[in-house]
Amino acid sequence: MIDLDGRLGPLPVRAWGLILNFIGNALTVYGAIGFIQDGSRLPILVIGAGLTAVCLLVLAKPSK
Amino acid sequence: MSEQYPIAEKIPPEVLEAEVRQLEELKAKPALLRLGGYLRLGGPGFMDSALTLGAGTMTAAMLSGAIFGYRTMWILWVSMGIGMFMMAAMARFTCRGGIPIISAQKKYHGWIVGSLMTALIGNVAVAVIFNYGQVSLGTHLIESLTPIIGFEFPRQINWVLYMAVTSAIVLSYGRKGRRGIKFVESFMKVSIGIMLLCFGACLVLVGVNWSEFFRGIFIPWLPSGVEGLDLFIASSAAAIGVMDWVFFNYAGLARGWGKKHESLARFDIFIGLFLPFILVNYLVLSVFAGTLHQQGIHPETAPELAQALMPLLGQTWSQVLFYIGFLAIPITTTVGISLAGAIAIHEAFGWKPDVNSWRWRICVLLPQIGFLAVWYPRPVWLVIAIGAFLSLTNNIVGWSFYLLFNDKRILGENKNRSYIWNLGILLQITLINCIAIIYVFNRLGWWIK
Repeated sequence: MIDLDGRLGPLPVRAWGLILNFIGNALTVYGAIGFIQDGSRLPILVIGAGLTAVCLLVLAKPSK
Repeated sequence: MSEQYPIAEKIPPEVLEAEVRQLEELKAKPALLRLGGYLRLGGPGFMDSALTLGAGTMTAAMLSGAIFGYRTMWILWVSMGIGMFMMAAMARFTCRGGIPIISAQKKYHGWIVGSLMTALIGNVAVAVIFNYGQVSLGTHLIESLTPIIGFEFPRQINWVLYMAVTSAIVLSYGRKGRRGIKFVESFMKVSIGIMLLCFGACLVLVGVNWSEFFRGIFIPWLPSGVEGLDLFIASSAAAIGVMDWVFFNYAGLARGWGKKHESLARFDIFIGLFLPFILVNYLVLSVFAGTLHQQGIHPETAPELAQALMPLLGQTWSQVLFYIGFLAIPITTTVGISLAGAIAIHEAFGWKPDVNSWRWRICVLLPQIGFLAVWYPRPVWLVIAIGAFLSLTNNIVGWSFYLLFNDKRILGENKNRSYIWNLGILLQITLINCIAIIYVFNRLGWWIK
């Protein structure tokens, strides 16, 4: 399992998780814009939403 | 970190001990008596809701009611509900260790996150810039109200009254120890009561379509396409933000809240912040859904919306009530944001807040520069700059609070142990992230045209 309390380079693992979540959010919004406008970018929307969901579920784990 | 917050130092220890004893006694009392006791002892939550219920929130509620009828009511409780997780985290920082959140940020996440992003941008800049809107609305309302009761009081003159009243209230915060705090908290509670009574009376007059009302609360609906996405993200993220989080923390510290106050703090968040915010919004939105929405009238600004409503309210007394309830909104917001701004400036520069000092007085009166709104609109370049900073930094402040809440170095054994609690905080962070993303996409021309 991922050790959320550890550090990875200059930042704690949780902070990297937040950055990854942000990237997932950006992909979701970008995908959603295309999908709503003309039905395009569905794969981006799915990847973004998936990444967001995984990040939220992992980061919600409290530290030991 | 566990030193008492300076404003609370003036509260005699025996007063705090008596409050703790009262809380212990209340635990054994029947629910109704407990509710009354907690209502009396609560305060920071009410201050937060009075701060949040400002010109912007009300304009959004009026516009939503006028354009979409009852259908967007569900967004209010969902967005405020998501915001409760971070507020409860603030209560934890306050009550378990007396941690001033900006100081903790400065120590563990640096000056840029603590002083610049949270204190100076998230609080001070917001207080100064947003007070323009409050003064503009407040003086407009006084100008519109007075002819109904028989005299003229134009905004070019009435700003003096607006400024005098709000300045007197903010300057009394913390004076004479607990009494000054209690006075401001009571003022906020009474003002919220006035809003509820006045808007409630208008709603009784206008009438409610109950089936539409309950459908609006419980069945999610959004306008189709991008407008819906925009509306949901903007409304959800705007309900509660950095200033609300920080102000609750410091208002609790100023009351000298400790471990035994945590249940009171949670009650205060729910009864003082969540319920009044939802109820006032529901009342205003319903008044407009039952009137302007039916008539298909959609003015754009708050004073125009209020004026368009007047003929539909009919009798003079109901118009007066509406204006009085409405006037309580900018007044309480000016009071709340002025205090939040002053506390934040002191934290940003590591100054000890002394409510009797000239430095405190200058800081707390800084947002009164908003009186210029009577003659000039807010400087557009400044609004754009602050809007940009806010959009791009609020989420990082949220990240910082989440990290602190899960950090053993700060809260020790009291750090978060709940999966659901973290998940709620992360959901709110995700919504605020989306605001930053949409802002950047807008700049890049990627957002919907």
